[in-house]
Amino acid sequence: MMEEELLRLRDEALGKLAALASGKELEQLRILYLGRKGLITGLMRGLGQVAVDDRPRIGMLANTVKQELEESFAVRAGELAGAEGGAADAPGIDCSLPGRRVPFGRLHPVTQVMDEVCSIFEMMGFAVAEGPDVELDFYNFEALNIPKHHPARDMHDTFYVNDSLLLRTHTSPMQIRAMESARPPLRMIAPGKVYRCDSDITHTPMFHQVEGFLVDRKVSFADLKGVLSVFCRKMFGDATSLRFRPSYFPFTEPSAEVDIACVICGGSGCRVCKQTGWLEILGAGLIDPEVFRMVGYDPEEYSGFAFGLGIERIAMLKYGIDDIRLFYENDLRFLRQF
Amino acid sequence: MKFTLNWLKEYLDISLTAAEIADRLTMLGLEVDSVEELHQGLDNIKVARILAVEPHPDADRLTLCDVDAGEETPVRVVCGAPNARAGLVTAIALPGAILPSGMKVKRAKVRGHESAGMLCAEDELGISSDHGGLIELDDSLVIGQEISQALGLVDTMIEVDLTPNRPDCASVIGIAREVAGFAGATLTPSVARKDLPALTGTGSSFSIKVEDPENCPRYAARLLRNVTIGPSPWWLKNRLLAIGQRPINNIVDITNLVMMEYGQPLHAFDFSKLAQGTIVVRRPRAGESLTTLDGVQRELNPDMLLICDSEKPVAVAGVMGGENSEVSAETVDILLESAYFNPVSIRRTARNLKLATEASYRFERGVDPEGIPVALERAVRLMVEIAGAVVEPGGVDVCGTLPDKPLLTLRVRRANDLIGTSLTAEEMAAILTGIELGVEEIHPEYLKVRPPSFRVDIEREIDLVEEVARIVGYGDIPTSLPMIPMSFAEQDKGRNLRRKILGIMTSLGFSEVINYSFVSERHSDLLALDTDDPRRNGIRLLNPLTEDQSVMRTMLLPGVLENVRRNIHQQNTEIRLFEIGKVFFSRGQDEQPEERMHLAAVLSGRRHPGSSLLHFGQESVDLSDVRGAVETILQELGLLQSISIVAAGDDAPGYARKGTCSSIVNSSGSSLGVIGRLLPEVARSFGIKQDLLFMTLDLEELADCAGEPARFTPLPRYPSVTWDIAVLVPDTVAAGDMLKSIRESRESLVEHVELFDIYQGKSIEKGLKSVAFTITYRSVKQTLDDETVNRVHQKIIQKLISDFNGRLREAS
Repeated sequence: MMEEELLRLRDEALGKLAALASGKELEQLRILYLGRKGLITGLMRGLGQVAVDDRPRIGMLANTVKQELEESFAVRAGELAGAEGGAADAPGIDCSLPGRRVPFGRLHPVTQVMDEVCSIFEMMGFAVAEGPDVELDFYNFEALNIPKHHPARDMHDTFYVNDSLLLRTHTSPMQIRAMESARPPLRMIAPGKVYRCDSDITHTPMFHQVEGFLVDRKVSFADLKGVLSVFCRKMFGDATSLRFRPSYFPFTEPSAEVDIACVICGGSGCRVCKQTGWLEILGAGLIDPEVFRMVGYDPEEYSGFAFGLGIERIAMLKYGIDDIRLFYENDLRFLRQF
Repeated sequence: MKFTLNWLKEYLDISLTAAEIADRLTMLGLEVDSVEELHQGLDNIKVARILAVEPHPDADRLTLCDVDAGEETPVRVVCGAPNARAGLVTAIALPGAILPSGMKVKRAKVRGHESAGMLCAEDELGISSDHGGLIELDDSLVIGQEISQALGLVDTMIEVDLTPNRPDCASVIGIAREVAGFAGATLTPSVARKDLPALTGTGSSFSIKVEDPENCPRYAARLLRNVTIGPSPWWLKNRLLAIGQRPINNIVDITNLVMMEYGQPLHAFDFSKLAQGTIVVRRPRAGESLTTLDGVQRELNPDMLLICDSEKPVAVAGVMGGENSEVSAETVDILLESAYFNPVSIRRTARNLKLATEASYRFERGVDPEGIPVALERAVRLMVEIAGAVVEPGGVDVCGTLPDKPLLTLRVRRANDLIGTSLTAEEMAAILTGIELGVEEIHPEYLKVRPPSFRVDIEREIDLVEEVARIVGYGDIPTSLPMIPMSFAEQDKGRNLRRKILGIMTSLGFSEVINYSFVSERHSDLLALDTDDPRRNGIRLLNPLTEDQSVMRTMLLPGVLENVRRNIHQQNTEIRLFEIGKVFFSRGQDEQPEERMHLAAVLSGRRHPGSSLLHFGQESVDLSDVRGAVETILQELGLLQSISIVAAGDDAPGYARKGTCSSIVNSSGSSLGVIGRLLPEVARSFGIKQDLLFMTLDLEELADCAGEPARFTPLPRYPSVTWDIAVLVPDTVAAGDMLKSIRESRESLVEHVELFDIYQGKSIEKGLKSVAFTITYRSVKQTLDDETVNRVHQKIIQKLISDFNGRLREAS
């Protein structure tokens, strides 16, 4: 009967399986019993001739036997492979072959540096907020103490959509938007894309900035120095020397620029630092009282500082990239380097 | 702003080096951009006199010159300059000299005659670009002296990158004032304010009428007669050349020199060209135009301010003079202007005319209203001395209401709080006095300060605070960390989602690209978008840099396709790229647009990029790869249950190959994105010849779908069993639907279903296909026996058969 035959074939196969000694023999045995024209397969083909009542029972048994044998073959194959692989002088295996690698993509270097910058400030408790790229003239300029005919507008070559709409030239408008909707104490960074109509080896018409600010009672220039020093050391290494020097931004006063010792020459002077030994890395300052007035804060009660930095510039210094336009060509030969 | 060390030393007695000055200025907020040694290495080039000239016997254009170079015997040189003549004092480069061009001067034979050196033109000495003839030097120079010494050429040029708030430093005297402050030196300007003549206006042969006193609060002028127009003396030329300006004639050079010295732009009119000897400061009349000194005819608008005579405009106030009143070689009498114009008015005019000049730069930032007569007097004196001018007494100074300089209060405590210092009132007073800020009262708690007229930037207490901080030196301000209460920021949902997706995409082998937010308008056509597709209505920029960057993008895909082309051009055909970024949709004029964060990704080329062909063959990616990527994103975000991928049908985008497109839809059926294969014609229009798969996803919509939070399920204690099924169904049945049907049967023992084979062909009836599944069964309560499994298994078989009009595939 079919049932006995099935069980007999099973035992026979299991016996032979235990006795064989190589993967090759195992494969021959597998074909003999489980192959398309194998003994078990052949037997199962006859299932149609079994009485209808018996069919489910015998079908089930056949499935079980087949499954049991498949498992046993797999187990035995594993044992044999282990034995073969374990021998130090196993023939036929070339250990010098390259492995099968899993392809991994890369984050754009701007994203990587942006993340790094943001996470340092996040560690210091700064919140992160992103604003619109297409901004109102009011937020980008007016509220930041840059009226229509202010010469400081020359520092920003602006793309306009119309008279009142423009592509933000910095992420500083978030300062205003955040202060309009909350009361101090506040500390926040605003990362994002910014736009200026300028294009050459050191300028692209779009680039990335992180703007940050902190407002509370009794915040001083000394605090600004403290926070930005921490940032520079976390970003560029504990041994980084830095200097603060006076500068001018309409929305901060006193204003400062922060330089770090040139990462290329270490301060002795080279082409990158224009022989000065220093690299400008940040703009900063105490928030101008006029800006506080614009958002309804009393400048006698609150003070604070703001700062901004360009991500591409930091990425260029960090990786030694000499042409900013490479960031936006998106050549895989470039992207895969980071 | 450029100046030289020697120039600076005209007003200060200092012994600092250029490098020291540059460093101190930078640390005071006057950032030095460059320090350049001028005229280095002009050795062996000497002042010489030509004694005799005779023609070269074998060359028409050459001469043989006997030259006294200060040595015992004259030297003979061959010369080609037209102005070589006996008696001319000029420069000779002797053998061994190296000219700025790098040329080494040697003894040489020129057309058969020995030449023991080379007579030089200005360009050969690196002084100017003039190559018209030999440099003509003053008779009084000592023959044989090194030229660099004789002409005072050795100097150091320093360039400062001025911030817009410091127009007072757009002048050598302004810079000198800052240097005096830190060097402890005394500033001695070329004209002392106490020496100024009174400009009374009486007896003048000209008149000044200011019709717009608001935009021209002060206008002073003097008449100079009988000037001799000619080249400037060397010292004056040298000053201008050293800072990169081209000398023109003595009068123009003097106005330029005084502007650089005092920061006050001056203008000289040819008096004979002014109708009725009159100056009127007014707005343009309808239809008036003016040809400015650069030869351009300017259309004038009513906002601009003009300098006119009784009939016509003769200059655009504060920006540029007119050709019709220009000083020329024939000029005899000069009217010299020194004025204060409203900064906003000048700025508006310069912008309108797209004309930025040294003068407009200074006026629009604000000149010193009280410096007007000083600069005028300085120029007058130079014109008398150099051009032989005779000054008409009197002179006119029309002075209206000038910007006032209020008395400011600086609270000592406030300043210390803001800076983080603990200075006394006296210390602050000393700091401010050092840079000429007039401290009028010192109280232990405050100072009363009246800023000088040249410091147009100091108007408020905070401006004084900045001055204190600046002079203390930022380096000497203490460093502290703010004491601020702990607070916990709201996490930005969109940003978190983006970060997760960035991680998923890179682990799927995609590299991130970042493209400009503005694109070419052509992108819509290249993608063959319908004419009424809202994505065609991108927001246009008013002033794009190029047409390729003129419209705010409404899709990410075109930009990424451009990246694909670029990479294929670079022979990189294994492409997996993605971008996450904003797209922009107009909400109407003057409204800020809607900004939506999107994701786009493309795959093309080998399925196993970067892997050895030894392991993985040449097989290319297909639709299942891109779908797999989307499924992985959804799975990792816990969104597999709420978001599904369904055949797109009629709403498939036109740029996808027909029938390849699926929509990614949320539980309410609205589409978040698509996947598909790019239409080959579209690919070609982007310059891509290989098969390419894409996906797009709206991340704003995705963020709104609630992902299931991870929950722990106890690990199964009992083993599973796997059983196979093969069913024959009509070949029109979608295998995915069968899979779904098994999953949705909600049989409790079914743990997992896998579609493992679809087969058509030999041994399968035409019109049918065999679809095979592996089903994993498991119970949480017991080890399953075959009977239990079979019961469920049969039910599933029956369901498939009845739902899909199928039958069990018999083993054959």
